[in-house]
Amino acid sequence: MNMTWLLPALLVIPLIGTGLIALGAPARKTALFVSLLNLVPGFLLSGVVLRTGEILFGLQPTQVREVFPVQFTLGLDGLSLPMVWLTLAVTLAAMGVTREGIKREKEYFICLLLVGLGGLGAFLSVDLFYFFSFHEVALIPSFLLIGIWGQGDRTGAAWRMTLYLMFGSLVLLVGLIGLVMAVPEMARTLDWRVLTGYLKTNPLAPGTQTALAALLLVGFGTLISLFPFHSWAPGGYASAPAPAAMLHAGVLKKFGLYGLIRLALPLTPLGWKEIGWLIGLMLAANLLYLGLAALQQRDFRWLLGFSSVMHMGTVFLGLIGGTLLGLSGAVVLMVGHGLSAALGFAMAGEIGQRAGTTWMQDLGGLGKKAPKLWFYLTVAAMASIGLPGLANFAGEILIFFGSWSAHPLWVAVAAWGVVLSSIAMLRAVRSMAFGPTSKTVDASGLTDFKGFSETWPYAFLTFLLLVVGIVPGVVLGPIRPVLERLFLP
Amino acid sequence: MTAWFCPEVLLVLSGVGLILLDALAPHGLRKGVSFLALVLSISVLGWTIWSSGQPLPDSWKNLFLADGITVVFKPFFVLCLVGVSLVSMRYKLGTEESVRAEFMALPFFATAGLCLLAGARDFLAIFVALELVSISLYLLAAFHRTKPASLEAGMKLLVMGGLSTGFLVMGIAWLYASSGTTEFSRILLQQAGKPASPALLLAAGLILTGLGFKVAAVPFHAWAPDVYEGAPMPTTTFLAVASKAAGFVLLIRIFGLGALALESVAEVFRPILLTMGIATVTLGTLAALPQRNLKRLLAYSGIAHAGYMLLALGTLGEAGMGTVVGYLWAYLLATLPVLIFLNEVERIHQSSDVRHLEGLGRRDPGVALGVTLCFLSMAGLPPLLGFSAKLSVLTTLWSAGEIPGLIVGSIMAVIGLGFYLVPIRAMYWEREADVIPAVRFPSFLVWVLLLAGFLNLILGLQPTPIIRLVERSLAPSLVASPKLNP
Repeated sequence: MNMTWLLPALLVIPLIGTGLIALGAPARKTALFVSLLNLVPGFLLSGVVLRTGEILFGLQPTQVREVFPVQFTLGLDGLSLPMVWLTLAVTLAAMGVTREGIKREKEYFICLLLVGLGGLGAFLSVDLFYFFSFHEVALIPSFLLIGIWGQGDRTGAAWRMTLYLMFGSLVLLVGLIGLVMAVPEMARTLDWRVLTGYLKTNPLAPGTQTALAALLLVGFGTLISLFPFHSWAPGGYASAPAPAAMLHAGVLKKFGLYGLIRLALPLTPLGWKEIGWLIGLMLAANLLYLGLAALQQRDFRWLLGFSSVMHMGTVFLGLIGGTLLGLSGAVVLMVGHGLSAALGFAMAGEIGQRAGTTWMQDLGGLGKKAPKLWFYLTVAAMASIGLPGLANFAGEILIFFGSWSAHPLWVAVAAWGVVLSSIAMLRAVRSMAFGPTSKTVDASGLTDFKGFSETWPYAFLTFLLLVVGIVPGVVLGPIRPVLERLFLP
Repeated sequence: MTAWFCPEVLLVLSGVGLILLDALAPHGLRKGVSFLALVLSISVLGWTIWSSGQPLPDSWKNLFLADGITVVFKPFFVLCLVGVSLVSMRYKLGTEESVRAEFMALPFFATAGLCLLAGARDFLAIFVALELVSISLYLLAAFHRTKPASLEAGMKLLVMGGLSTGFLVMGIAWLYASSGTTEFSRILLQQAGKPASPALLLAAGLILTGLGFKVAAVPFHAWAPDVYEGAPMPTTTFLAVASKAAGFVLLIRIFGLGALALESVAEVFRPILLTMGIATVTLGTLAALPQRNLKRLLAYSGIAHAGYMLLALGTLGEAGMGTVVGYLWAYLLATLPVLIFLNEVERIHQSSDVRHLEGLGRRDPGVALGVTLCFLSMAGLPPLLGFSAKLSVLTTLWSAGEIPGLIVGSIMAVIGLGFYLVPIRAMYWEREADVIPAVRFPSFLVWVLLLAGFLNLILGLQPTPIIRLVERSLAPSLVASPKLNP
């Protein structure tokens, strides 16, 4: 049976959802239903990809158009599959953690659906034009989400984040233009499958590769919040409403890493070797400098913001390790980080709503008063530290093994990063969950999760973290052939 | 015979018809003059598209030609006229209400001039057509005889327009002096292969200065914000879209494809055009940042857009010309709806300050969505049409090796988002002010704006129609190539 139409369906279903909400359907129910419904094509397509390796939609065998050769082509293979699942899962959870009665509900859910849609489209696009465009779709809804429904210095955070991301996108755009233009006119194409194939047999000149790698590093690096392009991220996440932070830290940030693995690394390998030392320094700064900054935080949201940014250093270590093991570890950690960051930000939102604050010194005794809250909070913290059995551990250990031979120094630095992150997270859990019940918690009349309808998003994310942690093969299996095709000669 | 039913003739006839109707018809009929103008402009648009590319009257052929540019830009200008008629129809003239027919008719004459301009193949024709446009616009800008702001706008436009025409005429004179003709193909034929004489370069410089005023390029931009702000809204619309586009059509005609498309001239003018482009983008973007009056904001945004087009044009290659053509369409489709919207805002609030947009996202979600999409398209955010336009500017610059332009263009595109988000922020983000009168947009305008917004989105996702237009505009002449006999 021809299943290719399921690919656009993944994008059309949320789009119809936004339309229905705009026309007056009950916002939360529609958004939830749409996110749940989108799992169906997700499951069917996974079956196809696991069996055949790849599925494509909209590829026309027409000749390349001269002026502007864009073609709306969608594709799903082993590497995009985990990313698509991450998006589907986090979108669903993000819809689930939002309670009824938020102000301007309609616009809120439309924005959330659009952010998720942007992520999905970017991971599914084969044409570079749409790959870039879909990511940008999320930009304005994020701006509005932080600006309208955010907390703290929401105005500043929204502007900073939007302009920073736009800057990163434009550097990225210039890098992509350069990549396409570096190919001789006869073979020029926007289809990254064709582009990868061509550049593998006809590599670019080393100088060109270095220049393009540097442009792509700054472009993607800003989107990933690699040091020193990170300063939009912690504050942005701390100010954003929980579901927006979940989607952004969990999904959209992975777009940059996905782009690096899909395009930048395989197409300009010599360039990456050339600037490897620079990336090493940047990732060390991510781990140590931002790790120390995380230690200083007194607000749980800010702590999560910094810790989520710092873990990008570990992923980068996997990328520059130059081994399939390290790269596979990076993909597993991307999934693990996406899920654990989503769970963490969701918990921060929950605690903020129930206790009225996320200042860690004002909290305390959650474990006694609200054992379920305590449980999921601990899961999020442990996942972020890299406790064995949860997804992040599987990724980190693979990265450390994979990069040891090439970069022992950076692996040692990354190990210290784990220590810093452990201290920060354990301190947070201690002061929030244990000890005597604080006055604020008492005064707020804090209640625990009640029933399935409140718990399921958290249980769902925890379940996925456990699955990937215990059976990392669910991610490693599908990505293996793709990574081999991209990186082995 | 059918050749005489070309858009130019129909436009002039419609204009004259409107004035006669006002003079002769009974009072009841006169009230419908606005609506009649809109209907007339739409019918002319239909006819222009349907009959595009048909030959010109024989007697015109020494001065005008029909080629890809005319096929693409005559509908462009008539579409602008439809927009202007729509804006005029909804515009309150106040004390000048009694002469509404003239207010409706003058844009028709100006548009006729623009259509002639698109097909001009001789500098004499350019001059005559340009004057037809300019004089109509002077009248339109100062239409509110009793309002100082409008008078000031008219005065500024008159002085600056006169100055720019002066430069242009001087340039034409020098060109005639150096080559003995004002016809494009003969100039080309005569100068090809020779090193450029100082007189020719001076002529080209003067002509560029004259056109620089028309497109509001730095350093000839200073008139734009004041005139946009002071002139009646329909005039602003005409100036912002049609007039600017006409300047670029002439730049393409003269420097890109026609009279001065010479290697010797290009050598000198490539860096000049690119520098102007860089300065224009930078100034337009930075000066727009502090603006809180949307008309001024649009004026500076228009200057920035002119800068991007100058950057693409400055590469003086075929790709650059194509990019400008595509960019102009993207600019039209994003700017015209915003101006229609602003006219309505002004009608309700008597000012176009950004704070009047506060709470619009909840009051009128359809309007807000459409206008947001247009603003984002102007900002060049994918997947909207404006992104494709900016992308092809950047691509053109990259393949021409113009790295400074590429860098400045990219940086300014980021900063540009800073002011395009200001109205969006006001519409969705700010608390609703208490004093907003509960006036809603008429439903047909809601649909027009929504449609325009989604047009930007759809064409951004699937830019094939615009690509076809670009290809068409660069296609070789449809009529026999210009006569080259002496």
